[in-house]
Amino acid sequence: MKSLYLLLILILTNGVFAQLDRSQRPAAAAAQKINIPASQVFTTANGITVILSENHKIPKVSIDLSMGNSPKLEGNKAGLADFAGSLLMSGTQTRSKDQLDREIDFIGANLSAGATSMSLSCLTKHLDKGLELMTDVLYNASFPESEVERIRKQNLSGLQSTKADAGEMAGNATRAVNFPGHPLGEIMTEATLQNIAREDLIQYYKSTFTPQGSYLVVVGDINRAQTEAMVNRYFATWQGGPVYQTELGKGQFDKGNRVIFVKKPGAVQSVVYVTFPIDIRSGHKDQLALTVLNGILGGGGFGTRLMQNLREDKAFTYGCYSSLNITENGSWMSAGGNFKNAVTDSAITEILKEFAGIIEAQVTDEELSLTKNNMAGGFARSLERPQTVARFALNTIKQKLAPDYYQNYLQQLEAITKEDVLRVAQQYFTAKNCHIIVVGNEEILPKLLVFDTDGQIEKLDAFGAPIKEVKTADISADELIEKYVLAVSGTSSKKAALKKLKTVKSYTRISEMSSEQIPFVLTSTDYFWDGGKEASKMEMPGMVLQKSYYDGKAGFTFSMQGGREDLKAEEIAAKQKASGFIPELNYKANGMTYELKGMENINGQDCYVLYTTDGLAENYDYFSAQSLMKLRSTSIRKIGEETMETTTNYSDFKEVSGFKFAHAFSMTVGKMSLNGVVKSIEVNPKLVMTEDF
Amino acid sequence: MKKTILCGLFLLGSTSFWAQQKITYEAYDLPNGLHVILHEEHATPIVAVSVLYHVGSKNENPNRTGFAHFFEHLLFEGSANIGRGEYSELVEKNGGTLNANTSQDRTYYYEVLPSNQLELGLWLESERMLHAKVDIKGIETQRSVVKEEKRQRVDNQPYGSFFTEIFKRVFTSHPYNWAPIGSMEHLDAAQEEDYVNFYKTFYVPSNATLSIAGDINIEQTKKWIAKYFGSIPQGQAINLYRDFINLDDNAFLTKYSVEKSEFDQKNFMNSQNPAAQKLIKYFMSQECEIVRTQKDTAPITGIISDTIYDNIQLPALFMGYKMPSQTHPDTYALEFLNEVLSSGSSSRINKEIVEKRQLAQYAFSFNYGLEDAGIGIMAAIAPKEVSLDTLLAAFDQQIAAIKSSLISEEEFQKVRNKFENDIASSNSSIAGIAENLADNHVYYGDANRVNTLLSNYQKVTREDILRVANTYLTQDARVILYYLPKEK
Repeated sequence: MKSLYLLLILILTNGVFAQLDRSQRPAAAAAQKINIPASQVFTTANGITVILSENHKIPKVSIDLSMGNSPKLEGNKAGLADFAGSLLMSGTQTRSKDQLDREIDFIGANLSAGATSMSLSCLTKHLDKGLELMTDVLYNASFPESEVERIRKQNLSGLQSTKADAGEMAGNATRAVNFPGHPLGEIMTEATLQNIAREDLIQYYKSTFTPQGSYLVVVGDINRAQTEAMVNRYFATWQGGPVYQTELGKGQFDKGNRVIFVKKPGAVQSVVYVTFPIDIRSGHKDQLALTVLNGILGGGGFGTRLMQNLREDKAFTYGCYSSLNITENGSWMSAGGNFKNAVTDSAITEILKEFAGIIEAQVTDEELSLTKNNMAGGFARSLERPQTVARFALNTIKQKLAPDYYQNYLQQLEAITKEDVLRVAQQYFTAKNCHIIVVGNEEILPKLLVFDTDGQIEKLDAFGAPIKEVKTADISADELIEKYVLAVSGTSSKKAALKKLKTVKSYTRISEMSSEQIPFVLTSTDYFWDGGKEASKMEMPGMVLQKSYYDGKAGFTFSMQGGREDLKAEEIAAKQKASGFIPELNYKANGMTYELKGMENINGQDCYVLYTTDGLAENYDYFSAQSLMKLRSTSIRKIGEETMETTTNYSDFKEVSGFKFAHAFSMTVGKMSLNGVVKSIEVNPKLVMTEDF
Repeated sequence: MKKTILCGLFLLGSTSFWAQQKITYEAYDLPNGLHVILHEEHATPIVAVSVLYHVGSKNENPNRTGFAHFFEHLLFEGSANIGRGEYSELVEKNGGTLNANTSQDRTYYYEVLPSNQLELGLWLESERMLHAKVDIKGIETQRSVVKEEKRQRVDNQPYGSFFTEIFKRVFTSHPYNWAPIGSMEHLDAAQEEDYVNFYKTFYVPSNATLSIAGDINIEQTKKWIAKYFGSIPQGQAINLYRDFINLDDNAFLTKYSVEKSEFDQKNFMNSQNPAAQKLIKYFMSQECEIVRTQKDTAPITGIISDTIYDNIQLPALFMGYKMPSQTHPDTYALEFLNEVLSSGSSSRINKEIVEKRQLAQYAFSFNYGLEDAGIGIMAAIAPKEVSLDTLLAAFDQQIAAIKSSLISEEEFQKVRNKFENDIASSNSSIAGIAENLADNHVYYGDANRVNTLLSNYQKVTREDILRVANTYLTQDARVILYYLPKEK
């Protein structure tokens, strides 16, 4: 202190300045030891894991309750969990929403709920009142009809505004493309939102909010004894079913780069994400090395490769970042930013270059130490928040980490080498099998073509669904059917076609079907006879799996699981509408509802889209405008509350006995996909069909 | 001894009705005018080092808008002793984080570092203050970056222009007229000299506050501050020194009539040559004067309403009212007023406009207080089918109600409880403490206001709220902006 005053006096009186060599950079002083205060963990009889992290600096307590369940596929009700979460606070059996809001606000508390969680934070002195309100919501949420409709309406408007938000659209596309058929890839749309009924929400709430497998994280100005008393008083009586847990898929790994484009009219910048899934889950042994890798590439700060290259060197952007998302349900990597239209393609080139570079060669010592120090600093800084300590305890349990994982975190981080970083880069990263998501102005589209390995840029809508570009057709439905019949039969007039068709009395077709999901080949045989009767059979070696039989008036289905079931009246009626060797020919006579919807592009070919409904299923058939062959057929059938969608793609059209038949097909039924090859087709075989075929 | 005091404080804290954690600090001025604030606490081994320069967009030449914010970018480009791109790297590789922000009133730089790197932080900030690199290469790079920032934050952001559009109309005779992001044309038109002059005018120790919070030893910290900041020349001598390092021999001689070679290259301020000494002494005595802007109390003239077409899906309504400066005593009652109107689910605007009548997706109101004046903003995004006139009428109904009668006792108590809760949490991070101390010193001349904030809210009565509603929510003098989707 004395010396300081002396210095000041010197400066003031003599105007003499201490000489300072400013080019000398200060060295670090001795590092302070980092202490991670211990958390306390205990479990309750009804299955709650309680984690307490005491911190008495501020007279507040926060309580976070989270469920231990895995997310479920929601299909045509995508968004159900979030919708339910946003309605939890809409009132209870005894409190209207107005009352609940008033009581929460009155104590200055924050109480919120999500799809699988609830959080309370308030001054310690208001904790009892806060918990009374929190548990009232937890046990007695009432999902009032009027609130369901209000939030539905609000969500609909929210979905509207998504269409103006490039970042949100890019996020949707990222999820949809990385995780098709996975809960992470499901996105709420106007249609799925409309499908969600109040009963679905209540059902979701009842099955999801259960004490079994749940976590209650308590942080702040409260001690162990008070916590135990609090848990005992408010949570001991909570009852619920078993927690739903399942293994989820790892995401969509592709060969080659795919450009995915989402249109945003009038955009002056594009949002670009270069992204791909990563096959690990949180708590994996490679997580730390991957985090270091991401930190060097673009995960933190200004000094990263992406930031230095795309912002500081090229000035393409305000910020270019990468993010590594490792979750319990699936993981992915993503890198990008906002780029003005003129440099969008150059930015993609540079991002891919940075991915390639970091896979090819070891990072430098400077980069490694910069990132490790940065992460170590971030670790220290994070400890300022009492929530961090509790989160460490929660992760240790949920991710089955070693009990001293966080105590040893800094040593483990220090131990990571350049070799480790290169190994995880090569194992998990790619510059050749990426999903390149671009949301922006359509004028940049031509410049994106070079990045797409198969040269087919996929276009998605704001919610990650493929865009169907429908044009008006130049012919009528009946004209289409006539052209189709001529093409299949290889004739040039309707009269000739009808004459030729009359010669077909029966036919059989044998196909082999295989699937990634099934370890053996299935054989399928189709029969057609007497101008309108049909049957089919699917077998695996030594066993019949499915059969169907229809003699024009009645029939049955047989399956391994369900046994024999006779066709119901409405099924017979539906069959009658689509009978015949070429059923389209008889649509009008048989009373099928059909309509030409327009034209869509399927795999690069313009197709007529013929919509039909037989009263049971809705069908969309796609006829090539060029060859007039049927390239695709999609059937959507409602079974109870579920809808089942089957899509079959046809190819390899070859002539058999003067008629063109597809000889290859691929089929998607729900999550299952099958590839089929036609082994033989016989027209007018000798065929005696009985129910026991 | 220390322990008993702590216990005493804790008891006091937990029994008094209004809980507020006390922030202790030391403050002093260096001879060159730099104001220093130090707060010591050891819970986590980290330290926040920040410098607030009292320059914002309101200090800009109307033909050179965007300069203050541009400098926030430029001053990461390095210094006489720090290479390009190295500034952030030095922080990050030593385990720290850094950033900066610019408002209409000030530019704020900070680093949060492991506490054993405090000296590094001080050196870095002193380099920025003394001789940052202001050259054409850095200017050009950052010019492009700032343009991208504007595209991202304003042009490509739905409703992103509303701040600019409202300020433009509420402030017609004050530099709050333009937004900190400024005009890209102005940045393009500016010459290197304009940038150098801006640095010389505003980036001087007497216009800065150094605020440090965290795991520090106060004695040691003061020594380092003396070393790195105490050595920054006083008065205009700093700019003499900057010219010495930036101008060539001829230009320097022409300007000062003394050869550069007369100065000591390594120890400039202690140059032995009498002519050099004389010059240094003279410029030390010349103060760095900054022309301050005046408070703006002129009311808005009439209702200014406009329609703006944007790349949006849902229409929106934005309203602006003229409010007093943030230092005006009515600010606290205005905060109360906004809480009653729009904070929390039970607030009036949320209950009536969003939930009951479903005229808006989101609706909010807040008071944006600045040094010379404030602005009250009310806004809502409407569902597609709702007309903005209906929405406006609904807002007006709420405003009429709060102007015509006292808020209820329950609402009043609710907002008091809310402030208590918020203020208890407000100083939970050392970075936040450093910033709050600096702000309160600069705007209120009283860093200790961080400790007395609660009592200011306690004094507000229901009658005050009614009075400020009637004084400031002037229905016949406001800006109304209708945001509509662009025709595609």
